Amino acid sequence: MKKLWYSYTKELKLSSKSFYFYVEIIMAVLVIGVVLFLVPENLNQYQTEYVYLDMTEMIEENYRTMMLEHDVDGKIDTAILNLDGTEITTELFITDDSKVYVINNKEDMIALTKADRPYVGASIYYNEEVMDLAYEYYLQGYESDRLKNLYQIIHTEDLNEISLKAQQVEVKSLNDNYVELNSKEFSLPVILTFNGSLMGMFIIAAYIFLDKGEGVIKAYAITASKIWHYLMSKVLVLMTVTLITSTVILLAIMQFKPDYLMFFLLLITSTFTFSTIGLFLSSFYNDMNKAFLAIYVVMMILMLPAITYYLPSWQPTWVTLIPSHNLIQGFKEVITNGDRTYILISSAVYMVVGIVIFVITERRFKKTLTK
Amino acid sequence: MLKKIFMIFKRDIKVNTRDSLTTFLLIMPILFAVIFNIMSIGINDTTVNIALIEDENPELEEYLVDFAKVSVYPDEASLNERVERRDDVFGLVNSTNGYYVVQQGNESEGSVEFARYMITFFEEGVQLSDTTAVIYDFERTVPPFKKMIVAIAIMFTTIMGGMLISINILEEKAEKTIRAIHLTTVTDNEFIIGKGLTGVFLTIYGTIAIVLISGFSGVNWAQLFIITLVSSIISLLVGFMMGITSETFMDAAGSVKMLFLPLMAGVMVVELLADKWQWTVYWSPFYWTYIALDDILSYTGTWGFTLMASGIVLLISTIIYILLIPRTRKGLM
Repeated sequence: MKKLWYSYTKELKLSSKSFYFYVEIIMAVLVIGVVLFLVPENLNQYQTEYVYLDMTEMIEENYRTMMLEHDVDGKIDTAILNLDGTEITTELFITDDSKVYVINNKEDMIALTKADRPYVGASIYYNEEVMDLAYEYYLQGYESDRLKNLYQIIHTEDLNEISLKAQQVEVKSLNDNYVELNSKEFSLPVILTFNGSLMGMFIIAAYIFLDKGEGVIKAYAITASKIWHYLMSKVLVLMTVTLITSTVILLAIMQFKPDYLMFFLLLITSTFTFSTIGLFLSSFYNDMNKAFLAIYVVMMILMLPAITYYLPSWQPTWVTLIPSHNLIQGFKEVITNGDRTYILISSAVYMVVGIVIFVITERRFKKTLTK
Repeated sequence: MLKKIFMIFKRDIKVNTRDSLTTFLLIMPILFAVIFNIMSIGINDTTVNIALIEDENPELEEYLVDFAKVSVYPDEASLNERVERRDDVFGLVNSTNGYYVVQQGNESEGSVEFARYMITFFEEGVQLSDTTAVIYDFERTVPPFKKMIVAIAIMFTTIMGGMLISINILEEKAEKTIRAIHLTTVTDNEFIIGKGLTGVFLTIYGTIAIVLISGFSGVNWAQLFIITLVSSIISLLVGFMMGITSETFMDAAGSVKMLFLPLMAGVMVVELLADKWQWTVYWSPFYWTYIALDDILSYTGTWGFTLMASGIVLLISTIIYILLIPRTRKGLM
């Protein structure tokens, strides 16, 4: 253990003098700056709709009154849209989840829908037969059949009546203790995963090839230290740098709100695992040139669960099997002070997998280190 | 001059084809494009996921399939277990007072409303055939998500081109062949361009592979070629700088992280922020590349806009190049 400690402190001293160390610090500062000052607190994903009202003035007024009831500030705004260089003045209603632009000319509405690709374009008219508003929708064409069916089904019966009945449907929550995150906080799990563990894979490979190039590894062969001391000291240095930068980022954005005990546990175990994956991959190659793309491909695949994190209704099983899925979800539990069991199980799995890969990697390195 | 540049390019290609690197370079864009294809089909078809109890109401199951992804579970416990997983799935369970919605608790309000409406439509006997709505469309087939991810993949390919150059230069450094270059008639600029060609080659190959496999073969190839070529210059410059200024692979790998920041910042601002915030990323060439690619992949790219975006990227590249000249010369010495 004394030898491992000596190797670790030596590596730490050396890396603290390198350019890489400062890149990590600069990156952490940049991430904090971007999240704090550029990412807005509430990133409302408004659904943009362009509509044309084809109805008598009186019904039009009723429509406006109905829209104003849902408008966030209760007044009609004016917005200017651009169509092939021509400015078109529109009325804008902003609700909690949508921006509805009322356009005075049907052709303009269709042309703008085609050019700007809002969520939907619609011409609304009064249908004498059913004595209600009826819709002509203008979609782009790539919308799924299910979505098209939805647009159609809401225009069958009196929607107000349906709406009243829908509000009476009981909703049972399996868990009421969920913490709502703002946009800055919500972005943290992906940032922490990418900045720490995944880049760690890349850095550690570069670290190994640096030593190979300088003949450090051959020198190691004639010391009393073991190969695993050498590999573990590299992993420990990387863990230290990741721990410092990730903690600084988390502290700056969320102060003392997260569950830090679980954060350190998950961060340490996952960084260990992903670093050993980096070591394992680099054991197959003689230089960085060759290892670079293998690690790059693995890293890109490991980033895919970030998409399912932002799109929770799309989560195919194959994505959940990618190891970084548990890391992103685990960090989410950390910042919401959520499910500790999930974090503990994930950390335990990372630890076990990390140890297994480390043992295999050590054997491989024993054979190939000096080649 | 061209002959010397081509010699340097040929040499890099020769060195890179000696090992598995080439196979990786050739396979990777294809692999990514295939993954994007699989993903975009699933994402575009996603409205809301609903879980039901098996055989509780086959009619409801049949009704909901037209609007949502439906899965069935043998009993309420296993349905609850499914709802509690990390994605958004709602359960619909029958009780003596009618159906109720089971949610995990962290879903968006809109999705919960959707589930409530769906069961109400069913209970009220509302049928699609009764609709008064008419749907027209512009016959576009490329969903926005696929377009976004293909544009990001093309930009990643340009960064990879830069990374490849930095690795090639670091190898030259390690083998001390850069100093030997000074003894030849090759000028600094010829060396830079010659080294950069490998990265440009990779970028163009990657872009063609991704665009073809992802099903965008109908794009305006000339516009796509221009914006990709111009935007690759910036990555090549940065890659070259990383190679020249970094002492080791490790320093270069650390610097790679820095390139991801302007790339992702450009994409995030376009996709997530309002028009009034777009100016915050005007400095990033990736921003201009992204909006130009978005236009081209939408099949609506105009020559005026493509040339303007390319011009801005070229201008930013020139400024960076001028700023980097002193350091590049120092590095080459």
